[in-house]
Amino acid sequence: MNMSLELLLATPFIGGLLTYIGGKVHRWVRNLIAVLFSLATVGEMAMYYNTTFKGVVWGSLFGSNLVLQTNPITWLFLFIVTAISLLVIVFSIDDMKKEEDEIVLDSYYMQLLFVEGAMVGIVLAGDLITFFMFWEIMSWTSYFLIVHGGKKSMAAGYKYIIMSVIGAYAMFIAIAMLYAKTHSLVYSDVALALSQASPSFIIWTVVLLSVGFFVKAAVMPLHTWLPDAHSEAPSPVSPLLSGVLIKMGAYGLFIVFYGLLSVNLAKNIMPSVFSTPILLYIIQWLAALSIVLATFLAIMQEDAKRLLAYSSVSQIGYVVLGLATGTSLGVAGGLFHALNHAIFKGLLFLAVGAVIYRTGTRNMSELGGLVKKMPFTFTALLLGIIALAGVPPLNGFVSKWMIYEALIQKKEVFLLIMAFVGSTGAFLYVYRLIHSLFLGQLPEKYENVKDVPILMQIPIWILALSTIVYGIFPGLAMDVIVKGMKLFGFTPIAYNLFGFPEGTAMGSLTVINIAAVLMTAFVAVFIIFILFPKTRQVSQYDNYASGQELTPDFKYNYSFGFYMSFGRVIKPILSMSIERVYNYWIDAFKIFGDYYMRRIYTGNLETYNSYIVIVVTIAAAAVLLGGKLW
Amino acid sequence: MVSTILIAICVPLLAFAIGLTFIMFKLKITARVQRRYGPPIIQPIYNLLKLLLKEDNISHGVIFSLGPIIALAGSILAVFFIPIPGLNLLTGSGDLIALLYIMAIGSLGMALGAGNTANPNASIGISRALTLMFGYDLPLVIIVISVILQYHTTNLADIVAAQANGHWTLWTLPLSAIVGFVVTYGALGEHPFDIITAPHEVATGPMVEYGGKHLGFLMINHMFHIYIEIALFVDLFLGGASNLFWFYIKMFGVFFIMMLCDEVFLRFKIDDAVRFFWKWPTVVALISLIIVLVK
Amino acid sequence: MEKMTQDQVRTIANMLRKRSLWMIHYCTGCGAMELPPTMTSRYDMSRLGLAPFVTSRQADILLITGYLNVKTLRRVITVYEQMLDPKYVIGFGSCALNGGVYWDSYAVIKQLDRYIPADLYIAGCMPRPEAIITAFQDLMDLIDSGKADGYKRYKRDLAYYKENQRKVLG
Ligand code: SF4
Repeated sequence: MNMSLELLLATPFIGGLLTYIGGKVHRWVRNLIAVLFSLATVGEMAMYYNTTFKGVVWGSLFGSNLVLQTNPITWLFLFIVTAISLLVIVFSIDDMKKEEDEIVLDSYYMQLLFVEGAMVGIVLAGDLITFFMFWEIMSWTSYFLIVHGGKKSMAAGYKYIIMSVIGAYAMFIAIAMLYAKTHSLVYSDVALALSQASPSFIIWTVVLLSVGFFVKAAVMPLHTWLPDAHSEAPSPVSPLLSGVLIKMGAYGLFIVFYGLLSVNLAKNIMPSVFSTPILLYIIQWLAALSIVLATFLAIMQEDAKRLLAYSSVSQIGYVVLGLATGTSLGVAGGLFHALNHAIFKGLLFLAVGAVIYRTGTRNMSELGGLVKKMPFTFTALLLGIIALAGVPPLNGFVSKWMIYEALIQKKEVFLLIMAFVGSTGAFLYVYRLIHSLFLGQLPEKYENVKDVPILMQIPIWILALSTIVYGIFPGLAMDVIVKGMKLFGFTPIAYNLFGFPEGTAMGSLTVINIAAVLMTAFVAVFIIFILFPKTRQVSQYDNYASGQELTPDFKYNYSFGFYMSFGRVIKPILSMSIERVYNYWIDAFKIFGDYYMRRIYTGNLETYNSYIVIVVTIAAAAVLLGGKLW
Repeated sequence: MVSTILIAICVPLLAFAIGLTFIMFKLKITARVQRRYGPPIIQPIYNLLKLLLKEDNISHGVIFSLGPIIALAGSILAVFFIPIPGLNLLTGSGDLIALLYIMAIGSLGMALGAGNTANPNASIGISRALTLMFGYDLPLVIIVISVILQYHTTNLADIVAAQANGHWTLWTLPLSAIVGFVVTYGALGEHPFDIITAPHEVATGPMVEYGGKHLGFLMINHMFHIYIEIALFVDLFLGGASNLFWFYIKMFGVFFIMMLCDEVFLRFKIDDAVRFFWKWPTVVALISLIIVLVK
Repeated sequence: MEKMTQDQVRTIANMLRKRSLWMIHYCTGCGAMELPPTMTSRYDMSRLGLAPFVTSRQADILLITGYLNVKTLRRVITVYEQMLDPKYVIGFGSCALNGGVYWDSYAVIKQLDRYIPADLYIAGCMPRPEAIITAFQDLMDLIDSGKADGYKRYKRDLAYYKENQRKVLG
């Protein structure tokens, strides 16, 4: 029993190593080991689900204990991590077949399992050192995963790792500051120390930690790595990155603000706006800006995966916005949205991956009409976009509803407006996605496309069904979330299996009624519809074109620049780009660096020789003086 | 139980009937403004039944046929969430915010069906429809928030109840009401916002390939749509009503003014329509919101 | 019994159809010039339940407004085939009837109902709005009595029509 957390943590890592070795035997051995070990992780997770472990010490470093712990929130995130990883690995088996080089594949599966293990470690961590260690493992292994995606992914991965490292430095400084103060980095000790520390110290550490999490969660203005990395990564990796990895940033924020620092403490040391501590208020604004701007950008994309990547930036904005409200309803909404986003964004990336698998392109204007060829993938993707757009009765709606209600309660109207606008904008880009991929004209070259193999269907459909289950029964997730939030000192919100009774928020919600009436209405209308004369199927070329006859070689479809006219409206906003600011600084650094580098690395052998002489002299002097240079 | 089921059947029929009469009046009003005699008053019924009884119907695929059905089912769902005098069937199961999203189901169904035709006119129509929706959504959200803050609830039935005895939102928040009118008008897609179906540019946009019973169902959906938009406006700003008669009179009044506006305007370009919505209605709505916040 | 109800349905349907005729805006020749006055306030054809519509899927009547040259014929046939049953065709003006002033032109087809079945012709070059409205009323009578069966003829004699079409279109 005592070893259970260590076992849970070790399983993916052991699995990763065994996978690599298994790959030397045969590729099926490797695939089997990978699936089995990720399945085992899910199994262990399910076995201990909702049991609370307090402070399992698994080692010590610098005199600080390394601790693993769990609480209901942990289990929520563990559930996301292990479940999505398993689905991703199952999906990879067929999808990565196109990769010729078996050695590359061996390391691919190993890295997948390592990322999973690292994320399990982050969530289980009970102290900042463990947290940071696994955080770094996650960054590096996910970097290797990203660069599997072909030539362009190299640059994307490079950008990702540079920004991650900057974030990690910020975190590291904060952790070092805390260590200097407390000499123990277990969460409870840190929380205790912070409650007695000076306000400026608290603000510095919290801000530095947040920077690290913001990079990973891709909150604007630190999001620039995400669209590149998530769209260039191999298709099974994208759901892992978008669905799960960026949630680690949100989890980190949750731990910092509600685990290490409590809302009451935050309120005491800094001024409040709309009864939110100002730091959280600023974070809310950043999140809201992410929502709106990323939505605008997603609308203008031509690349299916890039569209989804920008949409991730926007949706993680909701998560952070909810978490930063500081009220029970808002934080619960943020956590629930983290789960929901993992489900539907995983689903969307996998479904788009399935299309890429069959057609080999993710350029939306080259695709179209696939609904006739891939009806199952279409249905799953349809559920995904409905959930993403936040239309009842699917899951995205409930969590967004909670966040809206929380903002209304706090009267933070401007943030609320931005959140609303972002979600209406989501309609635009999700429709663009489904229209360009599945509706419209089927190009002649995809006449023979089939639906994807069963091993790729299963993960897609598990996620698709989850959107319905969590949409109609939000109580399933709220059980865990509310229980966990009680531990962090929130007043529990009232909920039931089907939604929220009156008194929770300013309105009430019962999703099952919505779903039931919708289904009844649908069936009734459908019956009336088929009572009338029959319909006859016509080909896509038998189409109104002012009498013109259409032929297959003619592209009679509107899919490029779908929202061109809208682009004209938001042109002034699109022309602003934080990336250009970064590039400006990068260039400045380059010039600066070049100038001084050339002074040192002159390329002249004599200079280098003299350096060696100087260094050796100093070293010798140091030894001679007994290690006492000054 | 039986009475609940009866009511559940009657409410959509009522909404349909109201929408139908509005369409009837619309044809007649248009004709009279243009100094024509106009078609017989029950012309829409002829049109509808003729479409439904067409001997031949074509389909471009399953989604093409499901589109109108989903649209109509979504509209019927939305009808249940709007308080009608004496009947608040589902207002407890979802509030104003939920309603805003439920109203999107209808458009989504129609968009899916139209997309499946592979006709560029339909796609452009949908692109315009969604863009226009994005346009009027910003002022709409702002006024909805101001109404919510005014009454401290998101429950539509409570909002209606709070306006009893003539304390209409129209009097307490006149600016919001004006913007609400413009937004409702835009959502109905009449001139100058008829960019979506513009017959001369995109050949009725999303409906381009629809004929026969499919078009008939879309017409029914349009009637529901008119009912939903105007009933929501009446509930939010004109205090709902105590009985069906007054409810109808209020709705008809709003609709009548809208039809008169419809006759005098030309057509916006789509980006100009969005710019329009993001300029004056938004500014006025923000002023109104700030008034509520400060109060 | 079954047959009787079917007959009744057909009678009712015909009654409805004749009261709601949507015509497609498809102007082939100069005769189309007379349609705007027919539509607008002066003659107001909407009194009869007629309305102009845009696409072939939505329309019931196809008006061949005048001369029909070979190039246009191809489009007209496509439009006609895309329209949903029941559908009616009106030949408009002398050109559609027998070639009219273009009786010896190489580019114009002479007799419309060799290519698509016409239910009714309006004579005149060009017919006045009064004549057009009378023609619509006649068409309604035909529909009511079930005699406007051009679309059935087209299906029955498809080979004949296709043969003629192929001769001119090649
Ligand atoms: S009949 Fe006369 S008016 Fe009509 S198309 Fe021929 S020439 Fe023109």
